[in-house]
Amino acid sequence: MLNRKQTEPQLSKYLHAKGRALGLPIAGNFELTARCNFDCPMCYVHLKSEDVEAAGRELSAEQWISIAREAKDEGMVFALLTGGEPFVRSDFFEIYHAMKQMGIMVSINSNGSMLKGEVLRRLIDDPPFRVNVSLYGGSNETYRRMCGRAAFDDVIENIAALKNAGIDVRLNVSVTPYNEGDVEDICACAEKLGVHMKLASYMYPSVRVNGGKYGYGDRLSPEKAAAASVRWDVLRFDDETFSKRAEAMAELRLTEEPECPVDSDEGVGCRAGSTSFWMTWDGRMVPCGMMTFPVVHPLELGFKAAWQELRRATSEIRLPPKCKTCPKRSVCAMCAAVCVTETGEFGKVPEYVCRMTDAVISQTKAAYEERKSENGN
Amino acid sequence: MEIKKELIKREIAGETVLIPVGKTVYDSNGLFMLNELGAFIWEHLPEADIAEDICRIVTDEYDVDLDTAKRDVEEFLQRLSSHGII
Repeated sequence: MLNRKQTEPQLSKYLHAKGRALGLPIAGNFELTARCNFDCPMCYVHLKSEDVEAAGRELSAEQWISIAREAKDEGMVFALLTGGEPFVRSDFFEIYHAMKQMGIMVSINSNGSMLKGEVLRRLIDDPPFRVNVSLYGGSNETYRRMCGRAAFDDVIENIAALKNAGIDVRLNVSVTPYNEGDVEDICACAEKLGVHMKLASYMYPSVRVNGGKYGYGDRLSPEKAAAASVRWDVLRFDDETFSKRAEAMAELRLTEEPECPVDSDEGVGCRAGSTSFWMTWDGRMVPCGMMTFPVVHPLELGFKAAWQELRRATSEIRLPPKCKTCPKRSVCAMCAAVCVTETGEFGKVPEYVCRMTDAVISQTKAAYEERKSENGN
Repeated sequence: MEIKKELIKREIAGETVLIPVGKTVYDSNGLFMLNELGAFIWEHLPEADIAEDICRIVTDEYDVDLDTAKRDVEEFLQRLSSHGII
């Protein structure tokens, strides 16, 4: 009668599966602002304040609350408030409290620098389901280089305060040319803080902020991105788990479920535009925050009609036929957002990701053999 | 029966779920899902003082004998109690 034996991810999966069958928007991502107090080169959203004004006004709190209410009425259970840095909005808590009071499970993406003082107190009084903090390095020096601010010590202190208050914190780590040497230090930070961490070394081309130029990003080469990914596997897995992963990789299988589900078909396999949507800071709705199209306008159409149109347009997306039959498909990070940001089209093979996948396979094999020889067997 | 936690009941995709609100988020670590009988009992908790009241409401609504109703109601109330909800 009261099902709590299942863990939250299982209940979430179940609701998404039912939502997919019924065409419901189970999860919404709300990019409340493009403004940020950091200035990271790989960011796919961040605009300077003057650019935000030039590009159009951010939505008001009332508009965000209204969209959230319509989405909730259509079935939205989970919402992620993101940015930019969402806490730069002085009316953040107006939006946040309203969404929580609607019976929406709200998580927040933040760079962690503003999670102190009054902001922290208000979060403790009315906690989110989760705070995902982006950790950009393992020192103030790396933060200065990557984010333009030596905020590392502050961010670590703020994460510890959130955790001490009992709020669920996760770390998201993006590896770029500016912090590639910090993977060990970052892993050590996560361990010391006792928080779950997720590392991504594949950076989508920032088509949204560089004039639509696809395939371009201030990022590592595919081989270096693979090296960071494999390094993380070596650090996070014990001998047995890493061995299993390496052996599966040699057979072109994964031992853990990928973050975005892989679909062997040519359509979009993940939740984007199927049970989830992304609202950009200026009021456009897209399947995923990395994409610039298909795009619909809920402020003009109303949420329900916009969602139906987004679902229809997403269902028509076809990924490269060559990828469908590629033997490496199940260990590759290719998806609709990857294809369109790398090539400008959904149906073109994203060569950067092919190279990265090849490098992950060969470097995992090399790391496995090295570990075996270190262990003397 | 007094519901001690802040939970909002919602119908989503044909399922009844309880979403934690306010500081209940600290205790719950996620949402709760109710089956049909659980959702029915949840609706009638405020008008019941003791488990027997709920058993009566259940047997009035459903074609079920008192012993079965008692077993189900007690199991449900026990689960709610173990989460500090009642």
